[in-house]
Amino acid sequence: MANIQELLNCWSYGKQTAIGAAQTVGNMWRQTNLNTKPWAKVPVNEDDAAEIGKGHEFATQLFKSHYNMPAYEISKYLSSEWAAFVMAFSLGNVTLTGSTAPYTYVCVPALGATNTTGLELPYFSFVQQIRPGGSSILDEILIGCAVKSWKLAVKNSPGRASAMLSAECVTTGQYTSPSTITVPAASLLHEMNAGTISALTINGTNYLSGGSAAQFVSLDMSYDNNFRPGFFPGSGSQDGYQIQGRFEWGDRTLGMQLVVRVQHGSGEYAALIALTTGASTITFTRDSGNSLELQIQKQGFKVAELTNTDGIVTLSITGEQLYDPTNGLLTATILTPQTGICQ
Amino acid sequence: MNTAWMRSPKGEVREVEGTAAALTPLMAAGWHQVPPPPEETPAAPAPQEKK
Repeated sequence: MANIQELLNCWSYGKQTAIGAAQTVGNMWRQTNLNTKPWAKVPVNEDDAAEIGKGHEFATQLFKSHYNMPAYEISKYLSSEWAAFVMAFSLGNVTLTGSTAPYTYVCVPALGATNTTGLELPYFSFVQQIRPGGSSILDEILIGCAVKSWKLAVKNSPGRASAMLSAECVTTGQYTSPSTITVPAASLLHEMNAGTISALTINGTNYLSGGSAAQFVSLDMSYDNNFRPGFFPGSGSQDGYQIQGRFEWGDRTLGMQLVVRVQHGSGEYAALIALTTGASTITFTRDSGNSLELQIQKQGFKVAELTNTDGIVTLSITGEQLYDPTNGLLTATILTPQTGICQ
Repeated sequence: MNTAWMRSPKGEVREVEGTAAALTPLMAAGWHQVPPPPEETPAAPAPQEKK
Protein backbone atom coordinates (compact mmCIF):
# COMPACT_ATOMS: atom_id res chain seq x y z
CA MET A 1 0.00 0.00 0.00
CA ALA A 2 1.14 3.51 -0.72
CA ASN A 3 -0.23 6.99 -0.49
CA ILE A 4 -0.59 8.83 -3.78
CA GLN A 5 1.74 11.52 -2.43
CA GLU A 6 4.57 9.04 -2.94
CA LEU A 7 4.06 9.12 -6.69
CA LEU A 8 7.07 10.57 -8.52
CA ASN A 9 6.59 12.06 -11.98
CA CYS A 10 9.49 12.61 -14.30
CA TRP A 11 9.46 13.14 -18.03
CA SER A 12 11.80 14.07 -20.80
CA TYR A 13 12.03 17.64 -21.97
CA GLY A 14 14.17 16.36 -24.84
CA LYS A 15 12.25 14.79 -27.68
CA GLN A 16 12.65 11.14 -28.52
CA THR A 17 14.52 10.29 -31.72
CA ALA A 18 11.64 8.01 -32.71
CA ILE A 19 8.27 7.07 -31.25
CA GLY A 20 9.64 3.81 -29.88
CA ALA A 21 13.00 5.09 -28.61
CA ALA A 22 12.92 6.13 -24.94
CA GLN A 23 14.76 9.26 -23.89
CA THR A 24 17.62 9.08 -21.40
CA VAL A 25 17.61 10.43 -17.86
CA GLY A 26 20.02 13.21 -18.81
CA ASN A 27 17.22 14.85 -20.77
CA MET A 28 14.57 14.46 -18.10
CA TRP A 29 13.26 16.60 -15.32
CA ARG A 30 11.26 15.76 -12.24
CA GLN A 31 8.22 17.90 -11.63
CA THR A 32 5.16 17.85 -9.45
CA ASN A 33 1.66 17.44 -10.83
CA LEU A 34 -1.69 18.55 -9.45
CA ASN A 35 -3.33 15.50 -11.03
CA THR A 36 -3.76 13.05 -8.17
CA LYS A 37 -3.83 9.93 -10.32
CA PRO A 38 -1.06 7.91 -11.93
CA TRP A 39 -1.14 7.38 -15.70
CA ALA A 40 -3.16 4.17 -16.03
CA LYS A 41 -2.34 1.34 -18.39
CA VAL A 42 -5.45 -0.36 -19.72
CA PRO A 43 -4.91 -3.66 -21.54
CA VAL A 44 -8.12 -4.73 -23.26
CA ASN A 45 -9.21 -8.33 -23.78
CA GLU A 46 -11.91 -9.59 -26.11
CA ASP A 47 -13.88 -12.84 -26.22
CA ASP A 48 -15.58 -15.19 -28.65
CA ALA A 49 -19.19 -14.56 -27.56
CA ALA A 50 -20.24 -13.38 -31.03
CA GLU A 51 -18.85 -16.42 -32.84
CA ILE A 52 -21.37 -18.96 -34.15
CA GLY A 53 -20.61 -22.66 -33.84
CA LYS A 54 -20.19 -23.05 -30.12
CA GLY A 55 -23.79 -24.10 -29.52
CA HIS A 56 -24.53 -21.17 -27.23
CA GLU A 57 -24.14 -17.44 -26.94
CA PHE A 58 -21.68 -17.41 -24.08
CA ALA A 59 -18.00 -16.64 -24.31
CA THR A 60 -15.61 -19.53 -23.92
CA GLN A 61 -12.24 -17.90 -24.51
CA LEU A 62 -10.38 -14.66 -23.88
CA PHE A 63 -8.04 -13.04 -26.40
CA LYS A 64 -5.54 -10.24 -25.99
CA SER A 65 -6.58 -7.16 -27.97
CA HIS A 66 -4.76 -3.87 -27.44
CA TYR A 67 -3.51 -1.32 -24.95
CA ASN A 68 -6.16 1.37 -24.61
CA MET A 69 -4.11 4.05 -22.94
CA PRO A 70 -6.27 6.83 -21.50
CA ALA A 71 -5.25 10.43 -21.99
CA TYR A 72 -3.44 11.79 -18.95
CA GLU A 73 -3.51 15.33 -17.66
CA ILE A 74 -0.42 17.03 -16.32
CA SER A 75 -1.87 19.96 -14.43
CA LYS A 76 0.51 22.65 -13.23
CA TYR A 77 0.80 26.24 -12.22
CA LEU A 78 2.14 28.28 -15.12
CA SER A 79 5.92 28.54 -15.26
CA SER A 80 8.33 29.47 -18.02
CA GLU A 81 9.79 25.95 -18.17
CA TRP A 82 6.42 24.22 -18.30
CA ALA A 83 5.09 26.70 -20.85
CA ALA A 84 8.07 26.05 -23.12
CA PHE A 85 7.52 22.30 -22.87
CA VAL A 86 3.79 22.46 -23.57
CA MET A 87 4.02 24.91 -26.46
CA ALA A 88 6.95 23.16 -28.11
CA PHE A 89 5.51 19.66 -27.92
CA SER A 90 1.95 20.67 -28.81
CA LEU A 91 2.65 23.07 -31.69
CA GLY A 92 5.58 21.23 -33.23
CA ASN A 93 7.52 23.90 -35.13
CA VAL A 94 10.06 25.15 -32.58
CA THR A 95 13.01 27.52 -32.90
CA LEU A 96 15.47 27.74 -30.01
CA THR A 97 17.89 30.64 -29.81
CA GLY A 98 20.46 31.74 -27.28
CA SER A 99 23.83 30.35 -26.28
CA THR A 100 23.38 31.08 -22.56
CA ALA A 101 20.35 31.48 -20.32
CA PRO A 102 17.77 32.77 -20.83
CA TYR A 103 16.89 30.82 -23.93
CA THR A 104 14.16 31.86 -26.32
CA TYR A 105 11.67 29.42 -27.77
CA VAL A 106 9.42 30.51 -30.61
CA CYS A 107 6.71 27.96 -31.36
CA VAL A 108 4.03 27.87 -34.05
CA PRO A 109 1.72 25.09 -35.26
CA ALA A 110 3.64 22.88 -37.68
CA LEU A 111 2.48 22.58 -41.27
CA GLY A 112 1.84 19.05 -42.48
CA ALA A 113 3.28 19.84 -45.89
CA THR A 114 6.66 20.90 -44.53
CA ASN A 115 6.96 19.23 -41.12
CA THR A 116 9.90 16.82 -41.18
CA THR A 117 7.79 14.18 -39.41
CA GLY A 118 4.64 14.67 -41.47
CA LEU A 119 1.54 14.93 -39.30
CA GLU A 120 3.36 13.70 -36.20
CA LEU A 121 4.54 15.90 -33.35
CA PRO A 122 7.59 15.33 -31.16
CA TYR A 123 7.38 12.50 -28.65
CA PHE A 124 8.60 12.38 -25.06
CA SER A 125 9.06 9.71 -22.37
CA PHE A 126 7.20 9.71 -19.06
CA VAL A 127 8.40 8.00 -15.87
CA GLN A 128 6.22 7.27 -12.87
CA GLN A 129 7.49 5.62 -9.73
CA ILE A 130 6.33 4.73 -6.25
CA ARG A 131 9.13 3.43 -4.03
CA PRO A 132 11.47 2.50 -6.88
CA GLY A 133 13.93 -0.26 -6.12
CA GLY A 134 13.64 -3.86 -5.16
CA SER A 135 10.17 -3.55 -3.64
CA SER A 136 8.68 -0.89 -5.91
CA ILE A 137 4.94 -0.47 -6.13
CA LEU A 138 5.14 1.34 -9.46
CA ASP A 139 8.18 1.87 -11.66
CA GLU A 140 7.74 2.28 -15.38
CA ILE A 141 8.67 4.47 -18.29
CA LEU A 142 5.98 5.14 -20.87
CA ILE A 143 7.50 5.52 -24.32
CA GLY A 144 6.05 7.54 -27.16
CA CYS A 145 4.03 10.21 -25.35
CA ALA A 146 2.64 13.29 -27.07
CA VAL A 147 0.81 16.44 -26.01
CA LYS A 148 -2.71 16.20 -27.37
CA SER A 149 -4.11 19.44 -25.99
CA TRP A 150 -3.58 22.18 -23.43
CA LYS A 151 -5.61 24.67 -21.47
CA LEU A 152 -4.47 27.98 -20.04
CA ALA A 153 -6.76 29.40 -17.37
CA VAL A 154 -6.28 32.92 -16.03
CA LYS A 155 -8.58 34.46 -13.47
CA ASN A 156 -8.92 37.28 -11.00
CA SER A 157 -7.60 35.58 -7.89
CA PRO A 158 -4.48 35.60 -5.78
CA GLY A 159 -1.76 33.02 -5.81
CA ARG A 160 -0.37 30.46 -8.19
CA ALA A 161 -3.81 29.11 -9.14
CA SER A 162 -4.57 32.39 -10.88
CA ALA A 163 -2.66 31.10 -13.91
CA MET A 164 -2.87 27.39 -14.64
CA LEU A 165 -1.51 25.50 -17.63
CA SER A 166 -2.65 21.91 -18.06
CA ALA A 167 -1.66 19.49 -20.80
CA GLU A 168 -3.55 16.39 -21.84
CA CYS A 169 -1.09 13.76 -22.99
CA VAL A 170 -1.42 10.44 -24.83
CA THR A 171 0.90 7.47 -25.09
CA THR A 172 1.26 4.46 -27.34
CA GLY A 173 1.08 1.66 -24.79
CA GLN A 174 4.77 0.81 -25.07
CA TYR A 175 6.54 0.81 -21.72
CA THR A 176 9.49 -0.63 -19.83
CA SER A 177 9.19 -1.81 -16.23
CA PRO A 178 11.22 -1.35 -14.15
CA SER A 179 12.16 1.92 -15.77
CA THR A 180 15.85 1.74 -14.68
CA ILE A 181 15.61 5.53 -14.35
CA THR A 182 17.04 7.22 -11.26
CA VAL A 183 14.73 10.18 -10.98
CA PRO A 184 16.69 13.44 -10.68
CA ALA A 185 16.09 16.10 -8.05
CA ALA A 186 12.99 18.21 -8.53
CA SER A 187 13.43 20.98 -11.07
CA LEU A 188 13.37 24.60 -10.02
CA LEU A 189 10.49 26.24 -11.86
CA HIS A 190 9.95 29.93 -12.43
CA GLU A 191 6.23 30.32 -11.93
CA MET A 192 4.18 33.19 -13.29
CA ASN A 193 0.83 33.97 -11.74
CA ALA A 194 -1.77 36.39 -13.08
CA GLY A 195 -0.06 39.22 -11.25
CA THR A 196 2.85 38.95 -13.68
CA ILE A 197 0.74 39.69 -16.73
CA SER A 198 2.38 42.58 -18.56
CA ALA A 199 0.22 42.70 -21.70
CA LEU A 200 -3.40 41.71 -22.19
CA THR A 201 -4.88 43.03 -25.39
CA ILE A 202 -7.77 41.21 -26.99
CA ASN A 203 -8.97 42.29 -30.40
CA GLY A 204 -7.86 45.87 -29.92
CA THR A 205 -8.91 46.35 -26.30
CA ASN A 206 -6.22 46.71 -23.68
CA TYR A 207 -7.51 45.15 -20.47
CA LEU A 208 -4.49 46.20 -18.40
CA SER A 209 -4.68 49.96 -18.65
CA GLY A 210 -6.85 52.80 -19.84
CA GLY A 211 -10.62 52.69 -19.86
CA SER A 212 -10.84 48.89 -19.85
CA ALA A 213 -8.36 48.23 -17.02
CA ALA A 214 -11.06 47.14 -14.57
CA GLN A 215 -13.02 44.95 -16.96
CA PHE A 216 -11.06 41.66 -16.94
CA VAL A 217 -12.56 38.70 -15.07
CA SER A 218 -11.11 35.55 -16.65
CA LEU A 219 -9.57 34.13 -19.78
CA ASP A 220 -9.38 30.53 -20.95
CA MET A 221 -7.33 29.49 -23.94
CA SER A 222 -7.15 25.99 -25.36
CA TYR A 223 -5.49 24.10 -28.17
CA ASP A 224 -6.23 20.56 -29.32
CA ASN A 225 -4.39 18.40 -31.84
CA ASN A 226 -7.33 15.96 -32.06
CA PHE A 227 -5.03 13.02 -32.70
CA ARG A 228 -6.19 10.24 -34.98
CA PRO A 229 -6.08 6.66 -33.64
CA GLY A 230 -2.63 5.16 -34.18
CA PHE A 231 -3.39 1.48 -34.67
CA PHE A 232 -2.30 0.09 -38.05
CA PRO A 233 -0.62 -3.01 -39.46
CA GLY A 234 2.79 -3.14 -37.87
CA SER A 235 2.05 -0.54 -35.20
CA GLY A 236 3.64 -2.85 -32.65
CA SER A 237 2.76 -4.81 -29.55
CA GLN A 238 3.51 -4.92 -25.84
CA ASP A 239 2.83 -8.03 -23.71
CA GLY A 240 0.94 -9.47 -26.69
CA TYR A 241 -1.38 -6.46 -26.91
CA GLN A 242 -1.36 -4.17 -29.94
CA ILE A 243 -0.07 -0.66 -29.29
CA GLN A 244 -0.36 2.56 -31.26
CA GLY A 245 2.50 3.37 -33.60
CA ARG A 246 1.83 7.02 -34.34
CA PHE A 247 -0.16 10.05 -33.29
CA GLU A 248 -1.12 12.16 -36.27
CA TRP A 249 -2.90 15.43 -35.69
CA GLY A 250 -6.45 15.74 -37.01
CA ASP A 251 -8.38 18.99 -37.34
CA ARG A 252 -6.54 21.17 -34.85
CA THR A 253 -8.48 23.74 -32.89
CA LEU A 254 -7.55 26.86 -30.98
CA GLY A 255 -10.08 28.40 -28.60
CA MET A 256 -10.44 31.42 -26.36
CA GLN A 257 -13.13 32.33 -23.84
CA LEU A 258 -13.02 35.74 -22.25
CA VAL A 259 -15.21 37.10 -19.46
CA VAL A 260 -15.18 40.86 -18.96
CA ARG A 261 -17.22 43.26 -16.89
CA VAL A 262 -19.62 45.43 -18.83
CA GLN A 263 -19.23 49.17 -18.52
CA HIS A 264 -20.50 52.22 -20.37
CA GLY A 265 -18.91 52.23 -23.76
CA SER A 266 -17.81 48.57 -23.69
CA GLY A 267 -16.72 47.85 -27.22
CA GLU A 268 -17.05 44.08 -27.33
CA TYR A 269 -20.61 44.02 -28.75
CA ALA A 270 -19.71 46.58 -31.36
CA ALA A 271 -16.63 44.58 -32.32
CA LEU A 272 -18.73 41.44 -32.74
CA ILE A 273 -21.38 43.13 -34.88
CA ALA A 274 -18.81 44.95 -37.00
CA LEU A 275 -16.88 41.69 -37.54
CA THR A 276 -13.81 43.48 -36.24
CA THR A 277 -10.69 41.36 -36.18
CA GLY A 278 -7.24 41.96 -34.80
CA ALA A 279 -4.33 40.37 -32.99
CA SER A 280 -4.73 39.26 -29.39
CA THR A 281 -1.77 39.14 -27.01
CA ILE A 282 -1.33 37.90 -23.49
CA THR A 283 2.12 38.20 -21.95
CA PHE A 284 3.37 36.98 -18.57
CA THR A 285 6.67 38.51 -17.47
CA ARG A 286 8.19 37.27 -14.23
CA ASP A 287 11.57 38.88 -14.89
CA SER A 288 14.03 39.44 -17.72
CA GLY A 289 14.68 35.72 -18.01
CA ASN A 290 11.21 34.24 -17.66
CA SER A 291 8.23 35.13 -19.78
CA LEU A 292 5.49 33.75 -21.99
CA GLU A 293 3.82 35.62 -24.82
CA LEU A 294 0.88 34.08 -26.63
CA GLN A 295 -0.15 35.92 -29.76
CA ILE A 296 -3.29 34.96 -31.64
CA GLN A 297 -2.51 36.51 -34.98
CA LYS A 298 -6.06 37.34 -35.97
CA GLN A 299 -9.23 37.04 -33.95
CA GLY A 300 -12.80 38.21 -34.00
CA PHE A 301 -15.70 37.52 -31.68
CA LYS A 302 -18.16 34.70 -32.42
CA VAL A 303 -20.47 35.05 -29.42
CA ALA A 304 -20.85 37.71 -26.74
CA GLU A 305 -23.37 36.69 -24.13
CA LEU A 306 -24.58 39.06 -21.44
CA THR A 307 -24.49 37.37 -18.04
CA ASN A 308 -23.28 37.97 -14.48
CA THR A 309 -20.26 36.82 -12.54
CA ASP A 310 -20.45 36.99 -8.76
CA GLY A 311 -23.10 39.68 -9.06
CA ILE A 312 -21.25 41.83 -11.59
CA VAL A 313 -22.75 42.22 -15.06
CA THR A 314 -20.37 40.58 -17.49
CA LEU A 315 -19.96 39.55 -21.08
CA SER A 316 -18.89 36.00 -21.83
CA ILE A 317 -17.09 36.19 -25.15
CA THR A 318 -16.12 33.34 -27.43
CA GLY A 319 -13.29 34.24 -29.76
CA GLU A 320 -13.09 33.15 -33.38
CA GLN A 321 -9.45 32.59 -34.31
CA LEU A 322 -8.61 33.21 -37.94
CA TYR A 323 -5.58 32.07 -39.91
CA ASP A 324 -3.55 35.04 -41.02
CA PRO A 325 -1.96 34.51 -44.45
CA THR A 326 1.36 35.98 -43.28
CA ASN A 327 1.69 35.12 -39.60
CA GLY A 328 -0.43 32.00 -39.33
CA LEU A 329 -2.61 31.19 -36.33
CA LEU A 330 -0.69 31.39 -33.08
CA THR A 331 2.84 32.22 -31.93
CA ALA A 332 4.10 31.29 -28.49
CA THR A 333 7.33 32.93 -27.37
CA ILE A 334 8.95 31.76 -24.16
CA LEU A 335 12.04 32.94 -22.30
CA THR A 336 13.33 30.41 -19.80
CA PRO A 337 16.60 29.33 -18.20
CA GLN A 338 16.06 25.74 -19.41
CA THR A 339 17.72 24.76 -22.66
CA GLY A 340 17.14 21.64 -24.75
CA ILE A 341 13.37 21.58 -24.60
CA CYS A 342 12.01 19.59 -27.55
CA GLN A 343 15.53 19.34 -29.02
CA MET B 1 21.74 39.49 -31.01
CA ASN B 2 20.61 35.87 -31.07
CA THR B 3 20.04 34.31 -34.44
CA ALA B 4 18.72 31.04 -35.79
CA TRP B 5 19.49 29.20 -38.99
CA MET B 6 16.27 28.47 -40.81
CA ARG B 7 15.50 26.27 -43.80
CA SER B 8 12.67 27.03 -46.19
CA PRO B 9 10.40 24.36 -47.66
CA LYS B 10 12.34 24.79 -50.92
CA GLY B 11 15.69 24.26 -49.24
CA GLU B 12 16.99 27.80 -48.88
CA VAL B 13 19.01 28.23 -45.66
CA ARG B 14 19.17 31.66 -44.06
CA GLU B 15 20.37 33.15 -40.76
CA VAL B 16 17.47 34.97 -39.13
CA GLU B 17 17.15 37.24 -36.12
CA GLY B 18 15.87 35.15 -33.21
CA THR B 19 12.78 37.20 -32.47
CA ALA B 20 9.15 36.24 -32.78
CA ALA B 21 8.58 39.09 -35.21
CA ALA B 22 11.25 37.84 -37.57
CA LEU B 23 10.62 34.13 -37.13
CA THR B 24 6.82 33.99 -37.14
CA PRO B 25 6.20 34.69 -40.86
CA LEU B 26 8.88 32.21 -41.85
CA MET B 27 7.77 29.46 -39.46
CA ALA B 28 4.14 29.99 -40.45
CA ALA B 29 5.25 29.42 -44.04
CA GLY B 30 6.92 26.15 -43.13
CA TRP B 31 10.48 27.18 -42.43
CA HIS B 32 12.12 25.22 -39.63
CA GLN B 33 15.33 25.49 -37.65
CA VAL B 34 18.44 23.66 -38.83
CA PRO B 35 21.94 23.47 -37.36
CA PRO B 36 24.30 26.22 -38.45
CA PRO B 37 26.33 25.30 -41.50
CA PRO B 38 29.95 24.35 -40.84
CA GLU B 39 32.27 27.31 -40.99
CA GLU B 40 34.32 27.44 -44.13
CA THR B 41 38.00 27.04 -43.35
CA PRO B 42 40.40 28.95 -45.56
CA ALA B 43 42.19 26.77 -48.02
CA ALA B 44 45.66 25.77 -46.84
CA PRO B 45 48.48 27.32 -48.87
CA ALA B 46 49.93 24.98 -51.41
CA PRO B 47 53.26 23.49 -50.28
CA GLN B 48 56.23 25.08 -51.97
CA GLU B 49 58.04 22.92 -54.40
CA LYS B 50 61.56 21.96 -53.44
CA LYS B 51 64.12 23.21 -55.88
